[in-house]
Amino acid sequence: MKNTKEDIKACNCEGKSLTVEEINSAVESVVKETGTGKNKVILILQEVQKKLNYLPSEALKHICRITDITPGQISGVSTFYSQFRHIPAGRHTIKICAGTACHVKGSQLISEAFKRDLKITEERNSSPDNLFSIEEVACLGCCTLAPVVQIDNKTYGHVKPTQVNEIVNDFLKSQGSRKGHDSKTVKDDFDAEVRIGLGSCCVAGGSKEILSKLSDIREFYELNIKVKPVGCVGVCNQTPLLEIVSPENKSTRYTNVRKDQVEEILLKHIKPRSLNKKLKFTINNIADTFLSDDMLYSPVNLPGEVREQTLNNFLQAQKHLATLNGGMMTPDSYDEYKLLGGFSALRNVLMTGDRSSVISTIKSSGLRGRGGAGFLTGRKWEISSASVSATKYVVCNGDEGDPGAFMDRMLLESFPFRIIEGMLIAGFATGANRGIFYIRAEYPLAVTRIKNALKVCSDKGLTGSNILGSDFSFEIEVFEGAGAFVCGEETALIASLEGKRGTPHLRPPYPAEKGFMGFPTLVNNVETLALVPWIINNGPEAFSSIGTDKSKGTKVFALAGKVAKGGLIEVPMGISVRDIVEKIGCGVAEGRTFKAVQIGGPSGGCIPAEMAGTPVDYEELTRMGAMMGSGGMVVLDNTDCMVDMAKYFLDFTHKQSCGKCTFCRVGTKQMLDILTRLSQGKASLADLDELENLCYEVKDGSLCGLGKTAPNPVVTGLKYFREEYEAHARGICPAKRCRDLVKYLITDKCTGCTKCFQECPVGAIDFRPYEKHEIDQSKCTKCDNCRVVCPESAIELVDVKNEDKN
Amino acid sequence: MKIRIDDIEVEAEKGQTVLDAARKAGLQIPTLCHGDGLEHYSSCMVCIVKDIRRNSFVPSCSSLCQEDMEIDASGDEVLRLRKKAVTLLLSEHRAECEGQCRVVCPMSYNIPLMNRLLSAGKTDEARELVLAETEGGDLNCFTCKAFCENACRRKKIDAPVSIRNTRIFLYNSSGIEKGVRISSDYHKPVDLKKRFSSRIGQIDETEQREWLKECGTEVKRHREITEIKDAVEEAGSCMRCDCRAADDCRLRELAEHFELKDPKGKFVNSPISKKINIKTGLIFENAKCIKCGLCVRLSGDKKEEPSLCFVNRGFVSVISLPLFDDFDNILPTMTDKCIEICPTGALGHFGNITGK
Repeated sequence: MKNTKEDIKACNCEGKSLTVEEINSAVESVVKETGTGKNKVILILQEVQKKLNYLPSEALKHICRITDITPGQISGVSTFYSQFRHIPAGRHTIKICAGTACHVKGSQLISEAFKRDLKITEERNSSPDNLFSIEEVACLGCCTLAPVVQIDNKTYGHVKPTQVNEIVNDFLKSQGSRKGHDSKTVKDDFDAEVRIGLGSCCVAGGSKEILSKLSDIREFYELNIKVKPVGCVGVCNQTPLLEIVSPENKSTRYTNVRKDQVEEILLKHIKPRSLNKKLKFTINNIADTFLSDDMLYSPVNLPGEVREQTLNNFLQAQKHLATLNGGMMTPDSYDEYKLLGGFSALRNVLMTGDRSSVISTIKSSGLRGRGGAGFLTGRKWEISSASVSATKYVVCNGDEGDPGAFMDRMLLESFPFRIIEGMLIAGFATGANRGIFYIRAEYPLAVTRIKNALKVCSDKGLTGSNILGSDFSFEIEVFEGAGAFVCGEETALIASLEGKRGTPHLRPPYPAEKGFMGFPTLVNNVETLALVPWIINNGPEAFSSIGTDKSKGTKVFALAGKVAKGGLIEVPMGISVRDIVEKIGCGVAEGRTFKAVQIGGPSGGCIPAEMAGTPVDYEELTRMGAMMGSGGMVVLDNTDCMVDMAKYFLDFTHKQSCGKCTFCRVGTKQMLDILTRLSQGKASLADLDELENLCYEVKDGSLCGLGKTAPNPVVTGLKYFREEYEAHARGICPAKRCRDLVKYLITDKCTGCTKCFQECPVGAIDFRPYEKHEIDQSKCTKCDNCRVVCPESAIELVDVKNEDKN
Repeated sequence: MKIRIDDIEVEAEKGQTVLDAARKAGLQIPTLCHGDGLEHYSSCMVCIVKDIRRNSFVPSCSSLCQEDMEIDASGDEVLRLRKKAVTLLLSEHRAECEGQCRVVCPMSYNIPLMNRLLSAGKTDEARELVLAETEGGDLNCFTCKAFCENACRRKKIDAPVSIRNTRIFLYNSSGIEKGVRISSDYHKPVDLKKRFSSRIGQIDETEQREWLKECGTEVKRHREITEIKDAVEEAGSCMRCDCRAADDCRLRELAEHFELKDPKGKFVNSPISKKINIKTGLIFENAKCIKCGLCVRLSGDKKEEPSLCFVNRGFVSVISLPLFDDFDNILPTMTDKCIEICPTGALGHFGNITGK
């Protein structure tokens, strides 16, 4: 990326203030494209912010002057959605993921470290040189790489609090040297096909660098290979992932591939065709062996089968319906999707032309909404198709805001055509003529992929008038959400589409009767739509034969947290939570014990390890106090504190609540208040009773699903881990997680290596080489740096309370 | 169609809300955020009822009647939730129903009202009030330690209003004989101990200064009150800590109805501010607002009528003026109507001596 002077000026990151003329002309050029309707407010704000870096009040004023938007509306909307900022940001935005998986892996410490090292204060959210600002985001959807930090579009996974400088320098360096890589025209007979994952996790793992390396090597050795970018394979914990398929269709997968290993991997499988290149290869190879000891750590030196096996375990217990052909298809390729049976379901239903039979197929398959509540999809379609209106909408709900969930992102990124096909079938079945993809703006790749796919579909006559020669016409557009968890609720989502604050209203009236702009609107989750083509192709019985009595088919989960192998998994309903954690996830790290699984994010609850036999089933999970939710599954081990988890979720909900109804707005705040006092050892047992009462009152008294489920993390916590809550009321955190209740001590294991002294950001440790070090408790900020760097594990966490007694 | 509310069969029409059906049948359901003829909003949850068949609680103001519905509108669970809703609203209601000077006064003399009458030049009315409050007895101020002045918010800024001396001056200068009862339209005896009174919780220094907006900036202060001019000038430094809606507040009424105590500690969702529109005399005190949105819905968000709006999200979502507007332009024609519909004292007429 070049940073020309113009760029800098336009993004206002040098602290230079924009002139009124500049602001006004930017606003005018945006409005010229978007139109002046009230419902365009979110789009206008997004575009203006893109141009000006933030939303100066002069811009807001001018928008109101030249459009139908009112000052009240623009103030309400621009302060409701997290995406919009009213103060300038630094040139680069550091997004620190605060999702569940990142939280349990210490994202708070990361955030503190960045703020401290870059001298970013609360008042002025950018570094003194205006280079960086920090934004804590609900979830970047790369949970398997937790904790995750994203600077502009570059993602860093497994970040440690001590790595701030390293990361910042790497980022700045990469700014100068970024180059594009064009795919070359390829010949028909290849020596091999090399597949490289290009889902967000893979890209975060560095797959773009691998891709550019692949092209370089191909050119250098004149290798006759086809390099094929593919969607997410689901093995997100071991990215980047490289797969080499020989012409005999024999495939070998490599995980955690490093840039410097690409050459070796390729040359192991593919021999250069021309003679002089072979020579070059041999010499290079010899030289490498002598000159570098990298070979020792290379994955190629491991027996291929071993790698294959772990992967196989991961993939074996799964069943791929929504994610069918994952890792095989190029997400952008219409031809491949079609070749693998894509759009045949649409063709079939259009050919038969029988709307009601489509609905009855979906109904008898037993498919239930995958967004969380589990309403019967076929029934929803039936209600929607019964509404009479010349204009009817189908909305794909891709506003996946759960911290700790990334299923929808992956499906949208990897299978755009499948979801479009699902939407078209839903549109046909319910008699709709317009479709909207509502996708979070935090998922830029998903937005791009869907937009590209829609363009192809329109060219191929799969959208528009008289699709495939039938009398079915359907137009699809994309709407980018602006960052509000509550917009996952369908009535709030519709309010947001209409350019309002995303506040839900009581149903009925249901959107199926009166939805977007008053028209009947069917709102379906991404995964629900992704399953539709499979059901049509394979019949309802094939689908309903999978799963349990009331929960049919498969469910996609984002498995993350303290599990050895996280990733995106699709499992048959009815599989036990334990099987997922132990068989697919390969359990927790050595030396730790599996404590609980958090299912369903902020609306869900924790299922304790003893009850991990619970099957994945809508009713069973609800009975346990958790909830299917959209499918986030975060594994917790013995170092995770249940009070801290509950506090984390309530902090999330009290911020994400739309703020409309009393119980959700103030009730969750009061719950958070008690939990915070608990985590500081300042709450009593009487507070626990108050907390429990509040749980039920907030559940009963809230208007929409967000408030009604917000207490779930606390309810399950009190149900299964009451003794832990009570310990906090006595001032002890058994998991040693709550920072106010523990302190850091250096034990006799200390060898005096001084590493802790070097890493301590506040000078709480004195320099004493070859002597036991000590921590000055009055200075210690409990940043955890010393414990992380200590090579002797000499730094321990102890209860503050017990120490006092001694 | 027929629905059952508290075991009473009620005739309801399609599209009618449970609240309307209940009211038509003569049943009382309390509300705060509901406005007749306005779009339903359902934020306060004070009108909550139980839909027995679905086993769920819904706000009656926006749930539509459905055939064979069975509603519990007065059971224990329902009452408990209503009570909790009011308690939660109170826990972020950083406001005082009565001025602290009056609260601590052993006789509950209406000191803020006296000050307002004085500074409005209604000196006779002020004197009548002071005399009427003695109810024919002695003025308590002669022997009192002036707890009022100790509690006076002005004390924290510079010096308390010279309440005691003002009252004594008004009393002495009346020339009235002992034992004579004087009547005043402004005197309404009240037992404050029996009334619910909201507390304000902790306020910081910047917030403290917001009250200065209630009095003139250049007021001449008098410790000793020797002539009526002194009393009038000194009264001008009173910061009007009592609520305009003390006798006209639905939140206070509900708190009393449910016999609630003011919750301990108050949550802070935004700093206290007082905004005054000098053109229409509208005053907006955000900390008293319960976010019912009635004013927002009533004024209808029209370009020609710049109005208040919701800003932010979550716990900090509040009613505010638009980000870049001048408060003097707000509600040019709808001020009176919005003040009238506000269920609390968040909106009022700045210059009023009594009431909103």
